Amino acid sequence: MLCLGIESTAHTFGASLVDDQGHVLSDVNDKYRPPIGQGIHPRKAAQHHADVAASVVGKALAVKDNGPLLPDTIAFSAGPGLGPCLRVGATVARTLALYYDKPLVPVHHGVAHLDLAMLGSGFSDPLAVLVSGGHTAIAVHIRKNWRIYGETQDITLGNLIDMFARSSGLPSPGGPTLEQEARKGNKLLKLPYTVKGNDVAYSGLLTAAVRMLQKGESLQDACYSVQEVGFAMLAEAVERSLVQTRKNELLLAGGVAANNRLKEMLQQVANEHDASFHAAELSKSGDCGLQIAWSGQLAYRSGITVKPSESHVVPRWRIDEAEVPWIPIR
Amino acid sequence: MDTNQVNDLILMHRGAEADLYLTQVGPWKAVLKRRIEKKYRQKYLDAWIRKERTTKEATMLGEARKAGVRTPTLLRLDSEESSLTMSLIPGKLARDRLDIMKPKAGEDLFQDLGQQIGKLHRKGIVHGDLTTSNLIISEENTAYMIDFGLASSSIEAEDRAVDLHLLRRSIATSHSFGVEKWFKALSKGYTDSLGHRDSASVYRKASEIARRGRYFAIR
Repeated sequence: MLCLGIESTAHTFGASLVDDQGHVLSDVNDKYRPPIGQGIHPRKAAQHHADVAASVVGKALAVKDNGPLLPDTIAFSAGPGLGPCLRVGATVARTLALYYDKPLVPVHHGVAHLDLAMLGSGFSDPLAVLVSGGHTAIAVHIRKNWRIYGETQDITLGNLIDMFARSSGLPSPGGPTLEQEARKGNKLLKLPYTVKGNDVAYSGLLTAAVRMLQKGESLQDACYSVQEVGFAMLAEAVERSLVQTRKNELLLAGGVAANNRLKEMLQQVANEHDASFHAAELSKSGDCGLQIAWSGQLAYRSGITVKPSESHVVPRWRIDEAEVPWIPIR
Repeated sequence: MDTNQVNDLILMHRGAEADLYLTQVGPWKAVLKRRIEKKYRQKYLDAWIRKERTTKEATMLGEARKAGVRTPTLLRLDSEESSLTMSLIPGKLARDRLDIMKPKAGEDLFQDLGQQIGKLHRKGIVHGDLTTSNLIISEENTAYMIDFGLASSSIEAEDRAVDLHLLRRSIATSHSFGVEKWFKALSKGYTDSLGHRDSASVYRKASEIARRGRYFAIR
């Protein structure tokens, strides 16, 4: 049973074929890159996706020499994300589903991040930490949903990094460069450390860090301090949640899961409380077609499909409102 | 009686940020709370946070007590060591107690807790981390607020609403039934204590905060 997954929530247009055991036959992704100093322009990103869609899907299906493989189901990222981008992926998915007469499966992008990380972890009941441009959430799976245990009260960790990078002239996405620069810094600048219970807030930290740069602090020290303070806040909220939920597995997923300093901190938190730790592999932490294909497999297995005529995109689909019945209830 | 003498430390509980030891100060059973070093945090940041929170907690405990809020009594502060010693409150954490609580007892408890929170807020203090892990239910079925490390001085509706929001969410994510009734009882006590006008603006902010989380989950 093969599922074709189409990712199209933000900067990445991706397509991937995966079988029902989680074996990856293909994972083809093409990223829209905004000019330095600018963020993602939804319409321009959507235009990029429309331009590359045919070739990306074609490559994803061309895994055999003797012609394209036909998937049994077609999954697409129905949300959350940028409306114009989501609509490109949804249109491609609907068209394929109608043309080949295959079931169409709507996938929640954040849930898909967690599903893919779960696949690699072997965990059954983790405390999940999802950090990306769209999410900064600490969640546990209860009955049929991921429930939010803690989250950001304003901007996400991905936003913080991207917006800071943008205002200091680093290319987008800012994560990798920020991490490189941070390694060269060693002076801890005084930035606001805001933890409210299990929640964090990053907008004050962003403003203060940008101001420090303007005042003449070095980029390296600013990057170092943004990481040290921003990640420590999250690590503390995660530690509290771990103690309160008494889980013994800690899972890290989403684009920011690629950051080594964040992984190191959460590994230490897990060690302190005798929990196992797993972070999504580098190739699977960022947005990709594969996450949608695998989550689509799981959703289809649970009987979740949608008629093409009713397959609306949901730009603000909250993760705890998505049904996730495929994770066993304990 | 030498209240500076703290001896016979017995580890009671390892929390997320502090270790709690059972001890004796003079004739009283007491709890020593020591904020432990966090290896994941940069050294200076860590030292600063631990010292700051310990001092803050000591101040806020005193202020809360002056306002007539049920809390442990502060017996000793050692900010260099990031530790403080408080009187022991015999009872159980709300998180362990709520699931086996009878509905009526639960409502009484929450109405009273609402009044306690109202008193705290009237005094110009917000708790900052009000969850079922930071409430002790005493043997007389009354709630004691503990852990004032994230408390601060504020009369802003927003900060007050965070207290109610965090408490509500911690009940909703760990306990499956009774939430609505209990919260109604809590609101009644809170309104009684803080007055209609002030409490109304806090409730408005609280639902705004719940919504804000919802709408910020984009992509």
